[in-house]
Amino acid sequence: MKKLLALVLAVLMVLSCVVLASAEESKTSINVCIASEPDTLDPALNSAVDGATMIAHLFTGLSNWAMDENGALGIVPACATELPAAVVNEDGTATYTYTLVDGLKWSDGKDLTAKDFEFAWKRAASSALGADYGYMFEVVKGYPDELAVEATDDKTLVVTLNNDVSYWNELLAFPTFLPVREDIVASEAWATAPETYVCNGPYTMTGWDHNSVITLTKNPNYFLADTIKMDEIKFYLSDDANNMLANFQNGDWKLIDDVPNAEIDNLKVQYPDEFFVGSQMGTYYVSWNMNANLLPEGSELTGAEAAKANAEIRFAIGLLFDRNYIVTEIGKAGQQPASSFVALGLTDADGIKQFYENAGPSDEYVGYWDTSADAYEANWTTAMETLKKYYTFDEATQQFTNFPAVEYLYNTSEGHKAIGEYLQSVVSGVGINMSLTNQEWNTFLNTRKNGDYTVARNGWLADYNDPISFLDMWVSGSGNNDSQFGKGENADVAIYSIDLTPYGSDVKVENGTWAQTYDAAIAAIKTCTDKDARYGMMHAAEDLLMSTGAITPLYYYTDIYMLEKDVKGFFANPLGYKYFMYCTIGE
Amino acid sequence: MSSKMFFYVLKRILLAVLTIWIVITVTFFVMHAVPGGPFVGEKAISKEAQAALEAKYGLDKPLLEQYVTYLRDIVTRFDFGPSLKQRGRMVIDIIADGMKTSAKLGLIAAGLAAVIGIVLGATAAIRRNTFLDKVIMVITTAFVSMPSFIMGSFLLIVFSVSLKWLPANGAAQGGLVLPVITLSLYPMSYITRLTRSSMLDVLGQDYIRTAKAKGVSRWSIIFGHALKNSLIPVITYFGPMLAFIVTGSMVVEQIFAVPGIGRQFVQSITNRDYTMIMGTTIFLASLIVIMNLVSDLLYKVVDPRIEFD
Repeated sequence: MKKLLALVLAVLMVLSCVVLASAEESKTSINVCIASEPDTLDPALNSAVDGATMIAHLFTGLSNWAMDENGALGIVPACATELPAAVVNEDGTATYTYTLVDGLKWSDGKDLTAKDFEFAWKRAASSALGADYGYMFEVVKGYPDELAVEATDDKTLVVTLNNDVSYWNELLAFPTFLPVREDIVASEAWATAPETYVCNGPYTMTGWDHNSVITLTKNPNYFLADTIKMDEIKFYLSDDANNMLANFQNGDWKLIDDVPNAEIDNLKVQYPDEFFVGSQMGTYYVSWNMNANLLPEGSELTGAEAAKANAEIRFAIGLLFDRNYIVTEIGKAGQQPASSFVALGLTDADGIKQFYENAGPSDEYVGYWDTSADAYEANWTTAMETLKKYYTFDEATQQFTNFPAVEYLYNTSEGHKAIGEYLQSVVSGVGINMSLTNQEWNTFLNTRKNGDYTVARNGWLADYNDPISFLDMWVSGSGNNDSQFGKGENADVAIYSIDLTPYGSDVKVENGTWAQTYDAAIAAIKTCTDKDARYGMMHAAEDLLMSTGAITPLYYYTDIYMLEKDVKGFFANPLGYKYFMYCTIGE
Repeated sequence: MSSKMFFYVLKRILLAVLTIWIVITVTFFVMHAVPGGPFVGEKAISKEAQAALEAKYGLDKPLLEQYVTYLRDIVTRFDFGPSLKQRGRMVIDIIADGMKTSAKLGLIAAGLAAVIGIVLGATAAIRRNTFLDKVIMVITTAFVSMPSFIMGSFLLIVFSVSLKWLPANGAAQGGLVLPVITLSLYPMSYITRLTRSSMLDVLGQDYIRTAKAKGVSRWSIIFGHALKNSLIPVITYFGPMLAFIVTGSMVVEQIFAVPGIGRQFVQSITNRDYTMIMGTTIFLASLIVIMNLVSDLLYKVVDPRIEFD
């Protein structure tokens, strides 16, 4: 009898455990891994895509990225009731007035007001904060320290821009434009621990095991809480691609944002439904130093003629590279061969057609050269003809004999090295001696920025869908002007021409300096409010940029990730931010 | 404690402080001489912002002044400053966080290595030239010569991916099992070999023969006399080994996504996070210096014949 009783009790205990366990499971949770520990989760200070993904779950701005029923991705109003058009003032500035949605609250229950937005924007733009992305506010009047943004009452925010900007609504969803509260951010440590992390988005931070895992839990105070499907998201923090893959393969992590390069071919076959190649608005390219001379020793060309010759030579060398080979044999991640600097993914004036599809001089191909496999031979011939004008060519060995030795600089990484070796093999085939030098990341950035190189590996990712994000970096004074346009000797070189008069601008310069042409064109673009004219001018600016040959695009970046196939409702935006709040698992 | 020992310890402590001061000075100036800086990124920030940040962290001051301030803050307030990259976090907190995991991982691995290593080594010595001895020697030779990234990856693929017995990330329940094994195999094998050869040496000594002749039992000879005396080389090795293993193994942390201090150290250098570089360097140097001191003092405990001078 006793034995029977004990048995019954034991069975009951086990059953209750099972029931409790299944009750626990009704809460949905997803484990993902997008990168290692973020440098910061302060929306104003963040400049990384992984940080932006987490922040997109923790904060909501005036607008938001969302996917409609048809699966189309776009910008929708979020904290603002609507996204009205600007009122253009007499002086050409543009004023936007936003009304906040009723009942907005911070995660600690306090009311969120327009004042919080005003404070957050002024803080993010200020030079005192020194945020990487503070310059995102440069379109706003008074940037950086007298920002023209004001909360006229608790629910109304008025902001004045230097001129109307077509991508403004998209900026409103960008992390730098998210609201933060003054009393919270007063302590700089606020964004490093869940106890002090007060936010206004779909989730709150409930755990942060540094370098290990960040836990987000659904925010009951969020005004759109009923639309959020996933109850809990755990962002595991790792940057080791092999480790990520192991965790994906054993089922622990549902999404991983990186895979080992060597495994890509296998994974595509092994996981056809779970291996994804997403888009990313970025270009992998080679940048040349405008102040490095490539002409052979004893060349009689000087001044403007030498500068023109160098441009032709750089462009010709760019044509020698087989971009299809690079993407299929080295990159292997679905990258697309590039023939323009403005990347795939950025749209043209109509918002539908890709900007790069309208780039370049020819109707027969897209961009500044034909990247199709069939065209490679013709490109090669053209390039060789150009180079033969300047260098001695030995027909017997099919090699140039007096091309000066050049050094290709890249940052230490197997992938960059493989591409460098390919470029080296191509040019050495025609007698150009190109050595490879690698530098550790931070040193490399420094060398490239200071222009202490001849030719270097480079890459750029856009922060918003507007080609200006690829073009304004090349003005003379830009901190990202690695090619040294309009700097040093190049500042006095007057061989550039641009004509923006067809677009209603008065910029028309023949044989001017970089500052007179390119810088002027970018300034005109930034103040232009007519969409078609503006995009026309951006094409003209890219034409000028590409004519220098100093930018040699190789391919457009992609974003590879693996997502378990029973996860539904996932999407990523064009900037590579990944959204898990609408995800469900199974069913 | 005898006065001789007291002076010995005092001398060693002063030497340790001197060593650490030299480490601080060299690291500080070399670090600033390397090109690049903490606020250099793929996308450039404005000159005003750069200047504001440098002023905020005192990087605009002359290098010598920065050096003096840094030393003063450490000595007077034990203040290692804020991290320049992980905004809002103090260096000391980041190190403490990383050490929680690294120390746990390292202590278990070191303990495991010592216990198993000594037992296996002693067994091999006692059963010298038997089949068991040979098996132990072959296995430990293999482990000593196998780099940890191969061992780690192998264990990961077998136990985590194929069999799914253990998680692949250090943060999960049971996630430290594989890293502990990976981390302990090398020192374990090394200790085994060390114990074996040292024990064989001791077993050949005259006093062991005397003990045997007096009829002391076999086990009493092994535990009472041989083992204790054969541990001196093991202790020499154990001190620094413990310091290295506890301060985190970059490779093992990377393979198993363990949130330890090793990765922080390497990343801080890439990031030019000056305060973090200094903090981690000082911490690791101190630990190694202290462990060396402790193991030197332990000699005396094990072997009273050793004199300090």
